[in-house]
Amino acid sequence: MRLAPRNVRSRLTLWYVSVLGVLLVAYAAGSLFFLFLSMREQFDHNLREDVETVEGLLVNEPNGSVALRSHHDDDEDSRLQRFVEVWSLDNAVLFRSPELQGQALDGPPSSRERTETTVPTSRRLGNGLRVRIASSAPHVEGRGVVLRVAHSEAPLWKELSEFGWVLALGFPPAILLAALGGYALARKALAPIDAMTLETQKISAEDLDARVSIKNPEDELGRLAAVLNAMLGRLQGAFEQLRRFTADASHELRTPLTAIRSVGEVALQDQKTVAEYRDVIGSMLEEVDRLTRLVESLLVLSRADAGYTHLHRTDVSLVSVAQEAASMLEVLAEDKRQHIDVEGDPHLVVSADRLILRQSIVNLLDNAIKYSPLESRILIRVQRGPDKQALLDVIDRGMGIPDQQQRHVFDRFYRVDKARTREWGGAGLGLSIARWAVEAHGGQITLKSEEGRGSTFRISLFLGESGA
Amino acid sequence: MPEGKSQLRILVVEDEAKVARALREGLEREKYEVVVASTGEEGFFLVNAEEFDLVILDLMLPGRDGLQVLATLRKRGLQTPVLVLTARDAIEDRVKGLDSGADDYLVKPFAFAELSARVRARLRRGRAEQAPHLKFANLELDVMTRDARRAGHHLELTPREFELLEYLLRHKEHVVSREMLARDVWKEVARATPLDNVMDVHMNRLRRKVDEPFDTKLIHTVRGVGFVLREEQ
Repeated sequence: MRLAPRNVRSRLTLWYVSVLGVLLVAYAAGSLFFLFLSMREQFDHNLREDVETVEGLLVNEPNGSVALRSHHDDDEDSRLQRFVEVWSLDNAVLFRSPELQGQALDGPPSSRERTETTVPTSRRLGNGLRVRIASSAPHVEGRGVVLRVAHSEAPLWKELSEFGWVLALGFPPAILLAALGGYALARKALAPIDAMTLETQKISAEDLDARVSIKNPEDELGRLAAVLNAMLGRLQGAFEQLRRFTADASHELRTPLTAIRSVGEVALQDQKTVAEYRDVIGSMLEEVDRLTRLVESLLVLSRADAGYTHLHRTDVSLVSVAQEAASMLEVLAEDKRQHIDVEGDPHLVVSADRLILRQSIVNLLDNAIKYSPLESRILIRVQRGPDKQALLDVIDRGMGIPDQQQRHVFDRFYRVDKARTREWGGAGLGLSIARWAVEAHGGQITLKSEEGRGSTFRISLFLGESGA
Repeated sequence: MPEGKSQLRILVVEDEAKVARALREGLEREKYEVVVASTGEEGFFLVNAEEFDLVILDLMLPGRDGLQVLATLRKRGLQTPVLVLTARDAIEDRVKGLDSGADDYLVKPFAFAELSARVRARLRRGRAEQAPHLKFANLELDVMTRDARRAGHHLELTPREFELLEYLLRHKEHVVSREMLARDVWKEVARATPLDNVMDVHMNRLRRKVDEPFDTKLIHTVRGVGFVLREEQ
């Protein structure tokens, strides 16, 4: 059986009704309890007075027992079931009300009962009747006795239960009303959410530019709608990026495939010498090599997208990694008679995966060498930045990057100069990979560039503990 | 090259017919005896029935998972070295491959030059190549003193050029791929485009020093494959 209701509306109502029920029951129990206390006080007061009355009615009988004189206001007390028991000090029963039919109210009197008037106590008699008993130690014409008077508690309980029933009868209609009211209220409050659900349901991958309408941006629902819209916006962006990426990737993959195909097909058309065939195969293998590298780069990036990058972090001196990158690419710079300088504090240490970090610096430096003129100077500067950051700048005096292109340079397959880059053999992934490498370390990569004056690529990383 | 002794036997477990054929031809050219199994079951049967010096195992086999075959074989006490080929590129799979008893692995698409180098290393034929004195034709290298000579003349090499030449010499007459150079000489995790350009520059300089003054060229580019140290006019 399903106990939890399916929708929020019913759940809210159920909660509401349960809480109300518990409150009502607690309130009724409290009222009954206090009513009981005050009624019993009155009851005990009457009992004590009755003890005094009965004391005055006791007379000695010639046979040594005690009798009860009849008294005037008998009628008044008749509805009150009264039982009387009189004991002598030597534990003999001197009188017992005939209504008791021989049952004892209690055993022989205790030492306290023999000397003083006792506080009323409750007791259940042999026939199941609940009574309240009080006692006193009066003298009947000079003879000391113990007098016990008991009143049946039945009227007390009857009155209490009547009151209880009156209370209980009121519960079901009260709770029913509350449930109806609560349900209607919950329904009204939740109606905008239902509307929003319908609206959101209609938005599919095809029309991600649709948005949820916001009625009041200040209230909770308005904020929820705003959050949904922001998420839709990000989703749309991601879809867009994916679509462009897929298109670009297939274009990049198609280029070498086309080359392989046409080179092979043309070579088969006529008889060639062995040397010519070798040349053809070599050229096809070059394209295969390009494809392989492309697929590998795409794999690195897609794994980064999925968050699968494992970093083997150690303490790395930024200056020494920069020097490694510089010495690796030095020969390329030498060919253009460029000069690479590395400056900064060698003790500035970050916690990083040395090889991955180096790859990103290599890619930036390679970029700088490519786009810098002959005999220019390229500077790698390492310095401490604000907020416990380490900064590594790669500064070139190249042609710079136009403003409107700056934010795209880290995009996959983006080339600033479409015609030019082909000859370098790059696929436009170098800077994307550099960005991935830096972001995998929780850092940031930014570009400042002025057309005609050069570019500065900046890697900012948080300092390792040993560097802070 | 095997000298006189019986040929070393290699079992290739590979379901892709083209790849299997290329591997067979390539390895036979290097004077190995090659047996090809196209399913895991067949490979399993052959390994149990015959003696092999090396098993090359493709992990993407129909019928039985390559890893399973390997684990079962190792459980039965198979000692033969196993070189795993895998198209899966996940690190976890590689580790799993080595845990389940693989001695080495190669990720597809691999260069044949690389496979051939790994096979040679596994079969321990390159023991002599660890020697501090390397010689090929009239080229001599002393790894301890970092002295390089051709026809008795000292060659002035930078440390990187020396390492490059040493690597070519240790793999003499075998093609080395750019991946191998990136990993073993430059100690890079991935072969990135900048490194390719760097390699070309170094290789050109090395050629200028080693080959230019002589008629017999030793360093050769194999287009689309890599570089090789070979005696050719």
